[in-house]
Amino acid sequence: MSSVDNFFMLMEGFATAMQPIYLLFALGGVLVGTAVGVLPGIGPAMTVALLMPITYSLEPTAAIIVFAGIYYGGMYGGSTTSILLNTPGESSSIVTALEGNKMAKAGRGAAALATAAVGSFVAGTIATVLLSFVAPFVAAFAVQIGPVEYVALMVVAFLTVGALLGSSVLRGLASLGLGLFIALVGFDSLTAQQRYTFGSPFLADGIDVVLVAVALFAVGEALYVASRLRHGPIKVIPVTGGWTSWLRRDDLRRSWKPWLRGTLIGFPVGTIPAGGADVATFLSYASERKLAKGENKKQFGKGAIEGVAGPEAANNAAAAGVLVPLLTLGIPTTATAAMMLVAFQRYQIPVGPQLFESNSALVWALIASLYVGNLMLLVLNLPLVGIWVKILQIPRPYLYAGILVFAVLGAFSVNFTPIDVIILLIVGILGFFMRRFGYPIAPMVVGLILGPIFESQLRRSLAISQGDPVALVQSPVAATIYVVLIVIFALSFLLKRRQRQFEAMVAANADAPDVVRGSAAGPEAVVAPAATGTSTSTSTSTTPHREDNDR
Amino acid sequence: MSTSVQNAPGSGTSAAPGKPIGELVFALIIVSIGVVGFVAGAGIQTPPSASDIGPRAFPFAVSALLVVVGAGLVFQVLRGHRGAADEGEDVDPDAKTDWLTVGKLAGFVLLHAFLIVPLGWPVAAAILFFGAAWSLGARPWWRNLVTAIVLALVLQFVFGGLLGVSLPPGFLEGIGVFGG
Repeated sequence: MSSVDNFFMLMEGFATAMQPIYLLFALGGVLVGTAVGVLPGIGPAMTVALLMPITYSLEPTAAIIVFAGIYYGGMYGGSTTSILLNTPGESSSIVTALEGNKMAKAGRGAAALATAAVGSFVAGTIATVLLSFVAPFVAAFAVQIGPVEYVALMVVAFLTVGALLGSSVLRGLASLGLGLFIALVGFDSLTAQQRYTFGSPFLADGIDVVLVAVALFAVGEALYVASRLRHGPIKVIPVTGGWTSWLRRDDLRRSWKPWLRGTLIGFPVGTIPAGGADVATFLSYASERKLAKGENKKQFGKGAIEGVAGPEAANNAAAAGVLVPLLTLGIPTTATAAMMLVAFQRYQIPVGPQLFESNSALVWALIASLYVGNLMLLVLNLPLVGIWVKILQIPRPYLYAGILVFAVLGAFSVNFTPIDVIILLIVGILGFFMRRFGYPIAPMVVGLILGPIFESQLRRSLAISQGDPVALVQSPVAATIYVVLIVIFALSFLLKRRQRQFEAMVAANADAPDVVRGSAAGPEAVVAPAATGTSTSTSTSTTPHREDNDR
Repeated sequence: MSTSVQNAPGSGTSAAPGKPIGELVFALIIVSIGVVGFVAGAGIQTPPSASDIGPRAFPFAVSALLVVVGAGLVFQVLRGHRGAADEGEDVDPDAKTDWLTVGKLAGFVLLHAFLIVPLGWPVAAAILFFGAAWSLGARPWWRNLVTAIVLALVLQFVFGGLLGVSLPPGFLEGIGVFGG
């Protein structure tokens, strides 16, 4: 396929995505996505899992466009929360909170929101362009690879998602193992033998992926938050001034380079599963801090606009990058991507290297809808910030009660049997304890979804080699992939160590302008000013007692 | 699993002092799932025709992963390395674990499972929302009730009526817009 063909296909995708009905679906998707991105305790992965019932009645293109809108919308919404809400946020948006929250407190919340929104748009659009060009080439390469190389790629995905997401390698791998184990329950697809069903007819069909995902995300989260609910009023920092005057000339001048740099950092990091958007935002923040000069550099830790612009751009670019392995190889590297893969499976669409050939109209409509959704998000986010702030203030009892109702709806509609609701509760309790003891959820979901595909490819590879495992590393391409894996690992461990040192340093400096720099190194020094000062949020969020983590 | 952990309230977080019994039990459960995986995996029938690797190999590999990783975690917890509990906007890191609320929520989900068939989905869902919101501290009760009923009806209308998900409509049986 030449690039002219791809351009033609993209235009056809636009022709589909621009139909009024699909525009409406995209709008619905980005609205829901932004809302759940804004809301604490509920993210795009949970939302896609909860909305899986729509795959029963919508045709594939419509459902995929809705889910893509939720995916992109969630990225936009998250920044609003971390800038305006006076409590620590999710890990991927913590970096934004670092400077954005300070800006908001200094009365510059509008500028922070604007640079985040425009930066997300710029990065999202550039990254989607990159996706449109890169993905077909990767797909053309991918269709030539055999099961051995495919196994190698999935080993990379498993190990990076399992070991690099979250703070503890062993806990990530345990989470991955639990996901792989649950995926084994039921009939073996190759020999039709029952595995781990313990004679139960309910287990013979296997445990539904959506059921487990909804349980882990929604029920686990609701139970966990309920165990430690933050009581009292929800403190939202007010935004002043009309939205048209938000991004001043000076702000724009300081923002555009971080936007572009963030994009260039975020897209490749998203494409290679090296720890998710978390790493991308951190890298962008660190480089902006390093590149800033003079007065601007002094503002870091007190509300530097570069520290919002860069990481937000990196975050969105990484989100687009994640779609490259998903659409070209069928390998999800984040929980949301894994749920989108499930949506494809629901429609019996084979996800994998052949997707670009067998369902090119759908894929290109999806990519085109990303361009459209991005534009919608930019237009929606700035004027509608008042609505998002209102959503942010939903009373938490109603929010989590509502999440539970959606969860039981999603669970019941899998097979229309109340037993699934009981399984939902059991797996939800498992998710509760995983959160409590610091086990990441995403590896389990990825293992659950990729496990069966991995096993069948592995067995195909070994059938070809007549059971000789050496064949798994003998192919030059596979061997290269494993070498790249080792490099990724070495790099990310270095990165993580730097990130931790950096976070400790930033947290020590950020909240303690009066403390002499250098002496504020230990956690005690951070806690002291935070307890007396007005801003407790950033300091607590960036120093989560790292000495307790293993490794 | 839950009872043994409930005996040690506040355990398992980096902030809370005391013995990490809950966390230790969780790591041991991971090991035992792996052991069960080996034992039950040995009972998987292998068709005689299978010349390649059969249906047992991958289950054994996953079980081995769970045993090794679980044992490593037990070792780590015993040496004093604890997991960092999840953070979030609505999570108060200094709060004591509120087991009562967790229990109430779990109880209402369980109750919901038993009510769907006799009462229909909207009523069962309204009871779940009302109970969960009440457990989480929402007052006054009548506002919870109104919200619960409105939400249940809207969801039944959107999913049962518009999207054609066959939720049992209960007392709404026969009304087309609710999928009855």
